[in-house]
Amino acid sequence: MPIHEKSLIRKENLVENENLVIDGVDVSGHWSTFITGRSLTDYNEAMEEEIAALPGGENIHRCWQCGSCTNACTVNAVNPEFNPRYWIYLIRLGMEEELLRDKDIIWQCVSCNKCTYACPRDVAPEGVMKATAHWLELKGHTPKSPSTEFDEEFSGQVIKTGKIEESRVIMNFFRRTEQPLAQPWLVALIKGLAFRFPVFYLMRMGMAVVRRPRTRNWAKSRRAINEYVQEVEAANRAAVGAKGGH
Amino acid sequence: MTKPVLIVGGGPAGLSAAHALASAGQKVVLVEKEDRLGGAPILDGYAKLVPSHEWAKDAIGAMVDRVQGREGVDLRLNAQVQSFDGEPGAFTATLKDGTKIEAGSTILTTGFTHFDSVNKPEWGFGTYPDVVTTVQVEQMISSGKGIRCPSDGRVPDRVAILLCVGSRDRQIGREWCSKICCTVSANIAMEIRELSPKTNVYIYYMDIRTFGLYEGDYYWASQEEHKVKYIKARIAEVTSDGKRLLVKGEDTLIKRPVSIPFDMVVHAIGMDPNVDNMTISSVFGVDLNKYGFIAKQSTYAHLAETNRPGVFVAGAATGPETIDDSIAQGQAAAMAALNFKPAGKVAAE
Repeated sequence: MPIHEKSLIRKENLVENENLVIDGVDVSGHWSTFITGRSLTDYNEAMEEEIAALPGGENIHRCWQCGSCTNACTVNAVNPEFNPRYWIYLIRLGMEEELLRDKDIIWQCVSCNKCTYACPRDVAPEGVMKATAHWLELKGHTPKSPSTEFDEEFSGQVIKTGKIEESRVIMNFFRRTEQPLAQPWLVALIKGLAFRFPVFYLMRMGMAVVRRPRTRNWAKSRRAINEYVQEVEAANRAAVGAKGGH
Repeated sequence: MTKPVLIVGGGPAGLSAAHALASAGQKVVLVEKEDRLGGAPILDGYAKLVPSHEWAKDAIGAMVDRVQGREGVDLRLNAQVQSFDGEPGAFTATLKDGTKIEAGSTILTTGFTHFDSVNKPEWGFGTYPDVVTTVQVEQMISSGKGIRCPSDGRVPDRVAILLCVGSRDRQIGREWCSKICCTVSANIAMEIRELSPKTNVYIYYMDIRTFGLYEGDYYWASQEEHKVKYIKARIAEVTSDGKRLLVKGEDTLIKRPVSIPFDMVVHAIGMDPNVDNMTISSVFGVDLNKYGFIAKQSTYAHLAETNRPGVFVAGAATGPETIDDSIAQGQAAAMAALNFKPAGKVAAE
C-alpha cells in the first residue's frame, strides 16, 4: 500500500471484548470495538547512529524528506511499498518497530542508483538501503539476503584461492539458498555448452572443477584480505551493538 | 539641509542611519526611549548574530561606539517624542520632558516587539518553567551559563524548538512570516549542540524558510554538521507527565500522532509590530499597514518614505526584518533624509 493510502487502523490494534457490560448495557462483540492508540511515544536516538556507522549509511542525517529518491526509484515503480524516503525518516527518528514491518522488502533495492543522482542533498539513498539491509541482518531481524549469500560465496572463493570457479559458485549459491541445482535454465545452458563448445575447453573446465587451481603465492594476500575483512566486520558489529563486536 | 535629522530609535537601523548621516556631515538628533543604545540585540541580550557569528555585544556594540560621542550626533537617552508638529523641512518634536527639537526631517527606526508566548497558552509558556523562548536561550548562551533547564538547572537530554510561535497564525491575528526565526532557530540549535553535544535537538516546523544564503550555513549545516533533526509537525499542545514535558502533535510525514517527552521546549517567537505603534502612528501622523507595522510607500519610486513627506522609516518598524537589512535600510533612509527637499522649495533654490 502506498504511504498516502496506508491504513490508519491496523488489524492488530483493534480490540474487541467478547463479553462486556458497561453500565448495564451489553456491548459484547463488535459493539465494544476499540482502536488502541497509535501515538508515537518516544524517539530511539541510537538507531540513526547505528545505520550511519555502516558503509553507505554515512549521509543519512542530510535527508530533508523531499521524496526525490522514492520518485526516482526503480523498485518503487513496481512495488509502491518500497519507499526509501519513508524508511530514511523512520530511521532518523528511531522508529524501529515501524521499520521492521518492511524488513522483508528493504533488501530488494536493485542498486540502480537513480536515487543517488536524483538526491539534492547527496544522501546517497542507495547506500542507505544497503546499510539498512545490512543492519537488519546484523541485528538478526532478517536472514542473509540471497545477494549476501552470493557475495559471501564469491568473495570466499577469491579469498581462499585467489580465483573463482563459476560452477562451484553456482552450486554453492544454490545450496546456501536451498534452491534445486537442476534449474531448467542451467540445464539448458549446460546442454548447449556440451553440444557446441570445443572439446578442449570442456576438458579444461572439467579439470578446473576437480583440481581447483590457485593463484600462485596467494597466502600472503589471503592473510592481508582476511585481516581487513575481519576488522571491518568487527567494526560494523560494534557499531550496531551486535554480538562479536569489540 | 542645516536643521538636524531626527532619528527615533537607537537599534541597528537607527544607529546605521545616524552613522551614515554624521559621515556625510549632517547633524543628527537620536532619540532612544531606553537608557542605552543598541536596540533588541543589546537590550534583549542576543548571543551570536546571523550571519557573521559575531557576538551581539561586539558587533552592535561597535555600531554604538562609532555613534556615541561623535561630533554632530546629539544623543537623547530615556527620551520619547510626545508630539511632532510643523512642516516638512521645519518640524518641531517635543519630548516627554518638554525639550523641543528642531528637525528638517525624521527617520523612524522604532523597531518591533517580540511576540509574547503567553498568547499561545497551549504551548505551555508561563505554565511550565522549562518552556522558554528563543530570546531566553540567546540569554543563556550570551551569559555564558550554558543551556540549562530553568526548573532545576540540569543540562537537557532533549530539546524541542517549535517554529512559527506568533507567526503565520490567523487564530492570533498574525498572518505574517517573521522571516528570521527559522534561521535563528537553526543557529541556536547548532549552538546548543556545540555547548552540550549530548543534547539532542529537534525542530518542529511547517516550512523551513532559511532564505538566500542562510540555507547552506544554517539549515544544511545544522543537519549535516550538527545532526539537528527536523520534524514536520505543528505542535498541538505542550503538557507534562510530571517529570518531563510532553510535546503532542501530528507528524504529518508519516501521518501519526506524536506524544514525545522533552526536557526543554523553546518557542521560536516571531516579530510583532512595536507595541507603541498606535502612539507612534498618531504622534508622527504616519499610516500603519494592515498588520500594524509602519506603512512604507512603494519601493520602486520612493526611498524609505512613509505617507508623510519628510518622515522616513527603516528597519523592523516596517515589518519583520533581519539585522543586516535593517542596517542597509537605515543607510537608505539616511540617503533619503540627506536629499530631502520640501515640496515648493525646489523651485526657489
